[in-house]
Amino acid sequence: MHREFICIVCPNSCHISVEYEGTNIKDIKGDQCPKGRDYVKNEITNPLRVFTGSVLVENGDFPLVSVKTSSPIPKQYLKKVGEITRQMKVEAPVELGQIVARNLLNKKIDLIATRKIKKINKKNSLLS
Amino acid sequence: MAAAVACRQKGIEDILLIERGAYLGGILNQCIHDGFGLEKFHASLTGPEYAQRYIEQVIEKDIPFLLNSTVLNLTPQKEVIVINDKGLHHYKAKTIILAMGCRERTRGAIGIPGARPSGIYTAGVAQELINLKNYMIGKKVVILGSGDIGLIMARRLILEGAEVLMVAEKLPYSSGLPRNINQCLYDFDIPLLLSHTAVDIKGNGRLSGVTIAQLGKRGGVIPGTKRRIACDTLLLSVGLIPENELSRQAGIILDPVTGGPQVDERGQTSIPGIFACGNVLQVHDIVDNVSLEAEYIVEGVVEYLEGRLTKEREIKVELGEGLRYVVPQRLISRKDTIFSFRVNQPGQHKVLLFEEGRRLIKKKSLRRVNPAEMVRVKLSSLELEGIKRLKVRLV
Ligand SMILES: Cc1cc2nc3c(=O)[nH]c(=O)nc-3n(C[C@H](O)[C@H](O)[C@H](O)COP(=O)(O)OP(=O)(O)OC[C@H]3O[C@@H](n4cnc5c(N)ncnc54)[C@H](O)[C@@H]3O)c2cc1C
Ligand code: SF4
Repeated sequence: MHREFICIVCPNSCHISVEYEGTNIKDIKGDQCPKGRDYVKNEITNPLRVFTGSVLVENGDFPLVSVKTSSPIPKQYLKKVGEITRQMKVEAPVELGQIVARNLLNKKIDLIATRKIKKINKKNSLLS
Repeated sequence: MAAAVACRQKGIEDILLIERGAYLGGILNQCIHDGFGLEKFHASLTGPEYAQRYIEQVIEKDIPFLLNSTVLNLTPQKEVIVINDKGLHHYKAKTIILAMGCRERTRGAIGIPGARPSGIYTAGVAQELINLKNYMIGKKVVILGSGDIGLIMARRLILEGAEVLMVAEKLPYSSGLPRNINQCLYDFDIPLLLSHTAVDIKGNGRLSGVTIAQLGKRGGVIPGTKRRIACDTLLLSVGLIPENELSRQAGIILDPVTGGPQVDERGQTSIPGIFACGNVLQVHDIVDNVSLEAEYIVEGVVEYLEGRLTKEREIKVELGEGLRYVVPQRLISRKDTIFSFRVNQPGQHKVLLFEEGRRLIKKKSLRRVNPAEMVRVKLSSLELEGIKRLKVRLV
C-alpha cells in the first residue's frame, strides 16, 4: 500500500512517502531523520496522540483547568477521553503537573493539569 | 516575557512589563493544545505550560509587571500612558520593546453576502470562549479559512462533542501548518475543501446554514458548484494582523505587507530606541521563534542603552521574486543578522539567494517551502561585511 505522511515529530513537517504491506515498510522517501521512520512505523501500527482538553474547576480563579494525557495515547481513544473530560469536575487549587484523573478507560491513561489554578472563595473568577 | 528575561540576563535593572490582560502569557493561555517548545525546550508543551516557564523566570528574576493595565498612548519620546484600576500612570523609558501580539482578521466575514445572525465567530474568539470561559459555541460547525487556529479549533470542537462538517479554504493550498492539517483534520476525517469559500449566509436570529462554492483559477465562483450546508456555527480563520494602533499613533513606520513596524537588524523601529518583537512585528506560526526573536533583539536594546547601536551605512533589504516579505527591512550595521521570510506560494526544491548586485553572498537550499511556515536564515558579519546593497529572492 502507498501512503503520504506528514511527520509531526518536529516543525520540519517532512512529507514522507511510504510503500508498506501490513506493518512492514518496504520503501520510504522524504524522512530527514530516523525519527521520521519511527513515526511512520507508529502511524501504520499504532498511531499515538497526546490528548489535550479542559476540565471544569470548582472555586478556582479560572472556570477551567487545561489538561493533557501524561503520555501519548492510541488515536482511537481521543474522542472517548473527550467525553470523560466533559463530565469531570475538579476542586481548586490545582498545581501544574498534578494528576487530575487516573487510569481512564482502564487503559492506564492519566490526565495531568497543564495550568496552575488558585483557589478563590468568592465567585469572582478572573474571567467572569 | 522572553524579552524582559533576556534584558535582565544582560544586566538591565530597571524593567517594567505592562500587560492588558488579567494574567501573563498572552495568547498562549488559550492555546491549550500541545506542540509548543519543541525547539526552545525540546519538549512538546501546551501553551499554558510554555508560558509558565517564562512566568517562573519573570518571578525568579524579580521583574516587575503590571496586570489589567492597558497602554493607551505611546510617544516618540518613549513615554507611555497606562490605565488600570488605580488610575492613569505616566512612565518615561530609555527604551521600549513593543510586544503587543496580533489580532484576528474579520474581513472574510464582512465580505460574505447574506444575513447577519448569531453563531459566527472568529476562531480565536471561539478558542477563548471554549478553553478559558467554558462556553460552548455550537453543535454543527463549518470553518472558513484553514489558518492554524481554525484547524486547532476543528479538533477541539470535535473533542468537545460538536460536529465539524468541513474546512473551506479560498486558496488552492492551506494556510495552516501541515502537522495541524494532519492531526486536526485527517485524524477526525474532517474534509478540507481547497479553492472553496462561503458565498451566502442564512439564518434568522441564529445561523441556519451557509452556501459554499468552488472558486476557479481567477478567484470567481464556478457556476453550478454552490452547495447549501446546514449548520448553526461558522468559524472564521482568515488570518492575523499585528496589533499596531499604538505604534501608528507614535508615528512608527509600518510595513504594509507584514503589518508590523519596519525594523533594522536589531528589531529597532523607525523611532530610535523603540524595538519590536513577536507577533506585533510579524505574525509567527511557532512560539519558539517568538522567544528567540525576543532574545535576539535584546542585544540591540543593550547596545542602544550603552550607546553602541551605531549606524554604519543604512541599506534597504530589497525583495526579489518568490517572497512575500523580509524582516528586517533595512540594515544599519553589518553584524550577524537573522532574516525572516515568508514565501509567496508553496513549492519544492527552491533556493534562497542573497545577492549584492550580481555577486552571490549566500545561498540556501530549501527542500520544501510553504507560506504557512516562516523561514529564518542567519547571515554572519563576515558574509555581510562591506556590502552596499542586498537583495533576496527565491528561485
Ligand atoms: C490561536 C493560536 C494558536 C497557535 N498555535 C501555536 C502552536 O501550536 N505552536 C506554536 O509553536 N505556536 C503557536 N502559535 C503562535 C505563538 O503561540 C504565538 O504567535 C505567540 O505566543 C505570540 O506571542 P506574542 O507575545 O507576540 O503575542 P501575544 O501572546 O498575543 O501577547 C501580546 C500581549 O500584549 C498585550 N497587549 C496588547 N496591547 C496592549 C496594550 N495596549 N497594553 C498592554 N498590553 C497589551 C495582550 O494582552 C497580550 O497579552 C499560535 C498562535 C495563535 C494566535
Ligand atoms: S523526519 Fe525528522 S526532521 Fe523530518 S519532521 Fe520528522 S522528526 Fe522532523
